[in-house]
Amino acid sequence: MNIWRILRQTALGATLVAGAWLLWPARGDDATANRDAAAARAATFTLRVMPGQFYAPGIAPGGVGEVNRAFADVVAAYEQLHPEIKIVLEPSLGNLREYLVTQLSAGTAPDIVMCNVEDVWGDVHKGWYVPLDAYLEEPNPYCAAGQPGAQHWWDQFAYQAISRAKTGPDGKMYCITYDMVETAIFYNKDIFRKVGVTPPTTWDEFEALMCTLRAAGYTPLQMVSVLYCDWALDLFLDQLYAAILPGIDLLKDPVREPYLDGYLDYDEICFLFRKGYFTRRDPRFRELWRQLRRFRSFANKDIATEDILRAFIAQKAAMLWSTSMLAYQLDADPNMDFAWGVFYLPRFTTNTSRYASDVDMCVIGGSGVQYEITNSSYTDTGDPATSRRLRWVIDFLRFLTAPANYTAIVNEHPIQVPNIVGVPVLPLMQPFAEILKRRYTTTKWCYTFDLQFLDVLGRTLPLYLDDHLTLDELLDWQEKNLASACARFERRKQLDFTAMEQRWQALAPQRAPMHDLPAPEGR
Amino acid sequence: MTPRASRCCIHAVLIALAVPTLLPFVFALNNSVRSTAEMYHGYFGMPQALREMAYCGWHALTGAEGTVRIVTDTKQMLTLSYAGACGWHARAITKNYVQAWTLLRPFVLNTVWVVIWVALGVLLSGSVAAFVLARFSFPGKRVVFFYFISTMMFPGVLTLVPSFLLVKQLGLLNSYSALIFPMIAGGQVFAIFVCKSFFDGLPQDLFDSAKIDGAGFFNLYWHLVLPLSQPVLAVVLIMNVLGTWNSFLWPFIVNTDTKYHVIASGLYVLSVSESASNMGVLFAAYMLASVPLLLLFAFATKPFMQGMTSGAFKA
Amino acid sequence: MPRTAMHASWLLRLRASLACYALLGVPIVLLGLFVYLPVCWAFSKSLFEYEVGGVSAFIGMANYIEFFTADPTTYVALANMLVFTLAAVLIRLTVPLIVAKLILSIPSERWRHVYRVVFLLPVVVSSVAMLLIWQGLVFSHQGLVNELLQYLGLGALRRAWLADPATAMGAVIFIGFPWIGGFEVLIYYAGLSAIPQSVNEAAQLEGCVGLRKFLLIDIPLVLSQLKLMLVLTIIAGIQGFQNLLIVTRGGPGYATFVPGLQMYYNAFSYQRFGYACAIGVVLFGLIFGLTILNMLYFKSSEDIQATA
Repeated sequence: MNIWRILRQTALGATLVAGAWLLWPARGDDATANRDAAAARAATFTLRVMPGQFYAPGIAPGGVGEVNRAFADVVAAYEQLHPEIKIVLEPSLGNLREYLVTQLSAGTAPDIVMCNVEDVWGDVHKGWYVPLDAYLEEPNPYCAAGQPGAQHWWDQFAYQAISRAKTGPDGKMYCITYDMVETAIFYNKDIFRKVGVTPPTTWDEFEALMCTLRAAGYTPLQMVSVLYCDWALDLFLDQLYAAILPGIDLLKDPVREPYLDGYLDYDEICFLFRKGYFTRRDPRFRELWRQLRRFRSFANKDIATEDILRAFIAQKAAMLWSTSMLAYQLDADPNMDFAWGVFYLPRFTTNTSRYASDVDMCVIGGSGVQYEITNSSYTDTGDPATSRRLRWVIDFLRFLTAPANYTAIVNEHPIQVPNIVGVPVLPLMQPFAEILKRRYTTTKWCYTFDLQFLDVLGRTLPLYLDDHLTLDELLDWQEKNLASACARFERRKQLDFTAMEQRWQALAPQRAPMHDLPAPEGR
Repeated sequence: MTPRASRCCIHAVLIALAVPTLLPFVFALNNSVRSTAEMYHGYFGMPQALREMAYCGWHALTGAEGTVRIVTDTKQMLTLSYAGACGWHARAITKNYVQAWTLLRPFVLNTVWVVIWVALGVLLSGSVAAFVLARFSFPGKRVVFFYFISTMMFPGVLTLVPSFLLVKQLGLLNSYSALIFPMIAGGQVFAIFVCKSFFDGLPQDLFDSAKIDGAGFFNLYWHLVLPLSQPVLAVVLIMNVLGTWNSFLWPFIVNTDTKYHVIASGLYVLSVSESASNMGVLFAAYMLASVPLLLLFAFATKPFMQGMTSGAFKA
Repeated sequence: MPRTAMHASWLLRLRASLACYALLGVPIVLLGLFVYLPVCWAFSKSLFEYEVGGVSAFIGMANYIEFFTADPTTYVALANMLVFTLAAVLIRLTVPLIVAKLILSIPSERWRHVYRVVFLLPVVVSSVAMLLIWQGLVFSHQGLVNELLQYLGLGALRRAWLADPATAMGAVIFIGFPWIGGFEVLIYYAGLSAIPQSVNEAAQLEGCVGLRKFLLIDIPLVLSQLKLMLVLTIIAGIQGFQNLLIVTRGGPGYATFVPGLQMYYNAFSYQRFGYACAIGVVLFGLIFGLTILNMLYFKSSEDIQATA
């Protein structure tokens, strides 16, 4: 009995000691922490930067190969150059949206965050983000004289159209587009050869190809449901509406239209919705969902939870739709026992759909990593105009885009396409750079309004794709969703439709020869 | 049916129920020592490294001659003796745990810190308040008691959003205080309730005789109430520690900064972040997250059980 | 009594009362700050269109009207809540009770102890980890259920259990099967073992054994525990959504969407804090109504024992 007690006590003691030892800060931690603290005391400003999961030091992109180092090196170089500035890197999180909302409302967000700029548009009227237009017009001091950027920072960016398309709904630019990402269909060349097919040039060929592959016992295409709500939706929408854009594109945006011909903005969509577009009376809108449903029928059975890469690597599936990152992952995988290639989605023809515009598929990727500057950046004076701290944040961003630094970071691994003039495109990224030469999309539908709009879309479309909703039920959801999103948006922005109405009348002759436009209400 | 046969039946039924209860955890434990590559082939099966380790270990022990060749993650070829290979595989097994621990350690530290403060606060404020309410009379006593008890009626769901706004207004987002103070506030009600009904049951003579001896409030509390109420305080403590340890939503909402994640919110964030691609590490983290409570359970089985069997759980 | 003495005793009593209030001060303030103030806010904010850092406008009952008439997710969510709550009540009032009875009917104290420990053991696993294990290991594409089906030659039945509208709700309810790894077993066990020996002996003499005894004697005597579980389960059913946030986020579509999630999304994703508060108030009203009903119409087992 006694011996048990002693044993118990010993075990308890040992556990406590072991626990304390495990939880005690490691010596290395301590030393680094001390040094960091000392540096932070010496520095005038400590800037907090979220590099994002692509370039965060210590992370192996895509879970393969070497870990990132370049960003930390560039930061170190910057700190050496400006000893009065200390830079702390912050991790990026899965629950980014909740993270941002809480951090920003508390004023504790990092100075530079990385997220899709569409995610911040809903909050810009609260002053949570700093507009960058004025800074983009200034010179970048880290660009040599005569080089792009030496006069206007803007000039450094290679993909002007796509980068400038990130202008917010209030006409201001809240991000710099650090790099480009593009998608493609990855295909198994061995399977294609075995089955006797080649990459398609039209959508009809694409469908025929998928039928052949299925008949041969392969899953033609690996997909996840979010791709239908985002990529496929935008591409299909563009395929169906591009031809009638001259009749419905009402506003000419002086900043964006030179780069983005006929992009449909929020307010235009609100107006068009009132005219019966994007409702069930709009034949193109019905066709949009039908085509998505048809496209889905070629994909794997479980688009909700399946890890889509697995079947592709196991050579059970012939194709996969993914981003340039996958090229790097496949390339780094030493166990790959087949040859693979990429092609881009081909155009709809009038054979595919009578509403097809018969234009090439536009790009769907575009801006990859986007950096935004938050309200934390000007906490020294509380006013962006006078803040010295904000100048340093901008300065650091400019340092990040200086060609040498940029090359080190973005081309450390071939995962994204560079967006800075003069920075070479790595060979593996070449096909994606080719795709990026295409036209930009008509509208980014899923990001058109707010998160509520996106959430309803993301919940209901997969149900329709898997036959849990009929087309009419889905259209009912979409109409309600759009109606409430428009109402919220009109209230928030206090839209005035008179200018658009005038333009609408003026465009009537353009629309006259167009077929299958939505019938006016009441008919 | 003979008593013996019926006893066997009962055991059979209970074991049949125990197996599926524990099975998912056993599989998670198994996967925590498997590599991501192995899991690509399937979630179930003997961990490769364990099998190899056993094989090499057996050969090393029996003194067999020969060497083993191992292909590492970086595709290098190693040639090792059996003993060396055994060690190599043993390291491969612990690799997930080492990695998981580096991810989890800050969360564990935060949780322990919060748990300690919340438990102390709840025990102190709960027992003092209960003692005052049970043993002293003063005007408004019933009102105060009602003030405490009626908070049990407000569901967390009602106060979630305004509490968040409040913590934001107080400037406490992303701090330990954002967890500690609201959790003490909420947790003490149960403590007051349980302790008060316990103190009510203590014989008045005890207090009277102590008072005659000239004991003041502090003395009464320290030398009489605390020693007597150890079992009930243990119940409160354990329930509180369990509650704090498992709380997910509140920490998830108010402390989004990784620095302040507790285990529950940290695990969730890990599971949806980049680290999720390394499933073995994730499973190891799930298992590691259970160890502190498992230890508490092992060393305090009795109060654990007593807590549940105490009179507190009836309506 | 001389006047000064009376005065002194009054002063003393005042001092004692003040001391009591001083001792109660911290809990009173904490509760006031972190419970009563948010409750008041919830009621007042529910009458506002309110966005953190953005608009804040009084709109009267519009949020409530929207909840009951315009929001297409309201009734789906309420119906789901009802199903989840009913299922939880059915499960938590039966399975752990039966298991507790089975354990108690084992003569050996050691074995009883072992079983109690085994069934309490899952409590140590963080509930988030438990949910993630069920989501990732049991119901996933390559999970236990699908692999088992494949093994049994029923590969055609494989599906995304948590992401298929037909099965999502069932799968969520199934999480934790056989639903006995927790406190319930111990609570019932305590209730059952508190039944006086005399009652058991009397029952034995009357020939009331086995199932008959369980139904006629044991269940009425653990009614107070059953009632507690009932109340706790219903309250958790009405306000609970953490599990769903982790395993399904209310999906697929709205198949596992509940009012709690509706509130969460409106507050933290759509940033409609006023509307979220209104949903919280409605849920509070529901729980409050049920509590009143409970107090009016259900007797505790002490009362039953007293009248019996």
